[in-house]
Amino acid sequence: MSGAGNRESVFPTRMTLGMMKIKLKGAQQGHSLLKRKSEALTKRFREITQRIDESKRKMGRVMQTAAFSLAEVQYAVGGNISYQIQESVKNARFKIKAKQENVSGVLLPAFDSEIDEEINDFKLTGLGRGGQQVQKAKMVYTRAVETLVELASLQTAFIILDEVIKVTNRRVNAIEHVIIPRTENTISYINSELDELDREEFYRLKKVQEKKQIAAEADELEEQQKIAKQAQDQLDEKKLEEEVEKLDIKHEHQDEGEDESKDLLNDKDDDVIFD
Amino acid sequence: MSAVSDAMSKRSLLAAIADEDSITGLLLAGVGQVSGEDGKETNFLTVTPGKTSVEEIEEAFETFTTVRKDIAILLINQHLADLIRHRVDSYTNAFPAILEIPSKDHPYDPEKDSILKKVRRLFGE
Amino acid sequence: MEGLFFNIDYGYVEGVVRGYRNGLLATNQYLNLTQCDNLEDLKLQLSSTDYGNFLAQHSGPLSTSIIRDNLSKKLYQQFQYLKQQSSGRMAKYLDFISYGYMIDNVALMITGTVHERDRSEILSKCHPLGWFDTLPTLSVATDIESLYNIVLVDTPLAPFFKGCLSANDLDDLNIEIIRNRLFKNYLEAFIKFVEADFGNPDKEIMLRLLNFESDKRVINIAMNSINNSDLTAEDKLSMFPSYGQLYPVYHHQLSNIDDIEHLKTVVTSVGEYKELFSEQQDSSGSARNLEDWFYYLEMQYCKNAFTQQFTLSSIWAWLRSKEQEIRNVTWIAECIAQNQKNRIDNYISVY
Repeated sequence: MSGAGNRESVFPTRMTLGMMKIKLKGAQQGHSLLKRKSEALTKRFREITQRIDESKRKMGRVMQTAAFSLAEVQYAVGGNISYQIQESVKNARFKIKAKQENVSGVLLPAFDSEIDEEINDFKLTGLGRGGQQVQKAKMVYTRAVETLVELASLQTAFIILDEVIKVTNRRVNAIEHVIIPRTENTISYINSELDELDREEFYRLKKVQEKKQIAAEADELEEQQKIAKQAQDQLDEKKLEEEVEKLDIKHEHQDEGEDESKDLLNDKDDDVIFD
Repeated sequence: MSAVSDAMSKRSLLAAIADEDSITGLLLAGVGQVSGEDGKETNFLTVTPGKTSVEEIEEAFETFTTVRKDIAILLINQHLADLIRHRVDSYTNAFPAILEIPSKDHPYDPEKDSILKKVRRLFGE
Repeated sequence: MEGLFFNIDYGYVEGVVRGYRNGLLATNQYLNLTQCDNLEDLKLQLSSTDYGNFLAQHSGPLSTSIIRDNLSKKLYQQFQYLKQQSSGRMAKYLDFISYGYMIDNVALMITGTVHERDRSEILSKCHPLGWFDTLPTLSVATDIESLYNIVLVDTPLAPFFKGCLSANDLDDLNIEIIRNRLFKNYLEAFIKFVEADFGNPDKEIMLRLLNFESDKRVINIAMNSINNSDLTAEDKLSMFPSYGQLYPVYHHQLSNIDDIEHLKTVVTSVGEYKELFSEQQDSSGSARNLEDWFYYLEMQYCKNAFTQQFTLSSIWAWLRSKEQEIRNVTWIAECIAQNQKNRIDNYISVY
């Protein structure tokens, strides 16, 4: 609602006024929709952040248990099997499947663990000794990685939601604080401009009428003077009969002048009604 | 969105930058993939203290996050993430997701985690 | 009569070994170790034992692997010393002991070669007790034939490779099988050597220990391959050492077993292994699992081995006890480092 500067540069016509009114309505509708979307997302977002916080802490414990199961393997095998394991790796048994989840129109990715039981690179690891522990550690770590995958999808959702919410909020704010006030300003500008025009027009017409009246009066006066003068001249020169004839002509002239001024008045009335 | 989901479905692997014990465990779980193709021989980097340089870690981080398109999640030991903290903190992409995990000798510290830091900032703590 | 001349050749060595044996951690020392709050404490406790200042040259934060490496170093030094003092059949005996480690190293080298790893990297991971001069040249070979013909024939392991050349290509599966076949051949050769060269009471003790080792491998292989369709019964049989109390009656049966209950009934029918699975059922914290039982039994045998005098078998018993001790300390360190104190009593101490 601030200064006249904050408005769109349009011609203040009735058509643009109509357009602006539609725009304002659209903006208000969009604003309420986006606001609702942003609220839904924020709700979800808070939920996720809380879960991230929890599961990050949980992960600490899970990974510790897993690391400990590895210590058990080392105890049972009686040495370091890291190298052996690193060298027997061929294909990923543990894979990720990404799917999407729709939250108020935002597609959030979610990771799913996919374990291919066909692939087992460590079938024979620890065959001679410690095989049981190796298998156990494998199970423990598989569960640990599953937790990690869950956490990762939460985290990705967190990043994406964070971004989307920022964008949505920016839009909401833009509509609320820029577009709506500007459109409203434009509308009031157009209105005031149109009013101004009306007043000008009214004033102009009045002025025209006034001028015309003055002109008409002056004409009449002149005519009368002229006629009087002529009459005097002719009185001197011509006979009385001729005088009578001239008076008739003058009457005709007067009628014509009266007709014109009536028309103008009518015109102006029409305009006013139009308003 | 279809392009995005296409790109996502290609990302099916986990990658890891971790110390020997963590790598061994993760490999036991079956995350390892070794292929003969250039530039994507392994999806894990074993960091040996005193042998693996910070540059190598950074390079692997770069490879796993930007070069390779088949990685969905990157697991990195927290104490290693600390070495390249500026890189981890400035990483904003959703894919691949970066997850800081504890290692055997370095228990998990939530204060250092890039994501949790963001969470804290958001809630003004 | 045996004892009469024993000391001429081996008296000193036996004395040294018995000295080493006295240096093994005793139960109350273990108790002290388990009371430690952190690894620094542990280091302090260990410095009052036979290990002395084994971590003296190490600076910086401690980790369990550093502790384990330094403990092992001490063991290697002692073993090398014994080796230098040895002569005659004892030298041969010690060689046989190190063959076991050599097999592991060879398997490691083959694995590395298959994956074209850096040689120095693999060599650094090899077991020091199993080191031999031609070990680094192993990486020259690309297939098992050339490996045998070019390199392995010159190593002490050559005779053990005879039975396992059927596999033509070197993939990981085969390497694990090769390792186990090698071990079978090695154990059989070791037992033959003991039978031929040793007299009582050495022979008796060593045979008991080696037979136990054979049984341990047989049970483990049978159990770990239960759900593995890649291994046929013949494959399994080819990895079973033909000694031990399970041989020959149960071997065939074990190679065909495909569920664990069945395996338990077979194994527990042997008197000495009756308890092997007994406590497995309740998986509460301190329950012993199979591996623990094996270690426990082995330690019992080793402890008993020291009751005889004039024996070379005490070397084997000491070596095994020491290895177990390193495992125990590592385990305790691991429990302390990872804050899992409730499992800390899972070590095996018999002295």
